[in-house]
Amino acid sequence: MRAHDPASTTFTCWHCTAEVTGSLFCPGCKAIQAPVRDYYRFFGLERKLSLDTGDLQHRFYELSRQLHPDRFQRRSPQEQQCSLEASSVLNDGYRVLRNPIERAEYVLKQEGFDIGEQRGKDVPPELLEEVFELNMVLEEMRGGEESARPQLEQARTRFQDMRREIDDQLGELFRNYDESRDRAVLARIRGVLNRRRYIGNLLRDVEKELEPAASLPGRDG
Amino acid sequence: MAYSQKVLDHYYNPRNVGALDKGSPDVGTGMVGAPECGDVMKLQVQVNRETGVIEDAKFKTFGCGSAIASSSLATEWLKGKTVDEALAIKNTDIVTELSLPPVKIHCSVLAEDAIKAAIADYKRKHEARQDAQAVEAR
Repeated sequence: MRAHDPASTTFTCWHCTAEVTGSLFCPGCKAIQAPVRDYYRFFGLERKLSLDTGDLQHRFYELSRQLHPDRFQRRSPQEQQCSLEASSVLNDGYRVLRNPIERAEYVLKQEGFDIGEQRGKDVPPELLEEVFELNMVLEEMRGGEESARPQLEQARTRFQDMRREIDDQLGELFRNYDESRDRAVLARIRGVLNRRRYIGNLLRDVEKELEPAASLPGRDG
Repeated sequence: MAYSQKVLDHYYNPRNVGALDKGSPDVGTGMVGAPECGDVMKLQVQVNRETGVIEDAKFKTFGCGSAIASSSLATEWLKGKTVDEALAIKNTDIVTELSLPPVKIHCSVLAEDAIKAAIADYKRKHEARQDAQAVEAR
């Protein structure tokens, strides 16, 4: 089966050789097509960081209905294969796009701001200092003593507040990027997402501390 | 996640945990982080300004067992080395010594980055002091 060139929006229907423009079914013969791998294009959405998740869910249900492999059981192997692949892209894409953090990571990766390719030097020293200090405070509170509980609960509230602030900040940056398409905004989003991840880890550590359970060596980093 | 014996040893008996005086002119501090897993690593060296030999090294790492073991091992290796010898330590040496699996290689990279950052910080201070002395001598 011919794979799509993700850069082009037009390709040829495998069945009737009509021109297909980024849709899942050929406009000529109605045959199912191999799916585009780009989640935004697959869902027929504009590439925006702020998404209406209700609309996304609606599209997901509609596409699930159209692409379900059961509907292609008595069709050709090629069509069955297309339906399987499309269903898989559908599910992966829905999982990524409905979550604002994963959605932003997806767009950042496409735009060359992949988290995995960063090195320590890309993280601002103030953030590292802050996270280090917060970790120190957290460690001091530990020790299994019940007396540390109120302090830990306070820390939890504090981290939750910080994460809420970060999420508000992200919402604003998302809107900003959607309007401006400015790469400098993406770089800022990268930074805020890094901070969110650190705060998320701290929060997870506090919560682990608050519910007594045997702990494994360190964190599963 | 199965840890090697050496990782577990460094995890349960970490060498050189602690802090050196960040404000001292003979101490270099390196603070690095890996946002994908949320690790933070602080590594410090105390250098003899006459000989350039690292006399003490301390670390504090918040992260997984492999990150802790990598930085613990790094401080062990740093002591007694000259600043330039220390810069020759490669993350692959740490991977080999600790038998780190591929998914934990970034922990050794973090340790190498921390060594480089600490030494860069020391060198910055050292050069600033030499400049100051040169000015005074005039």
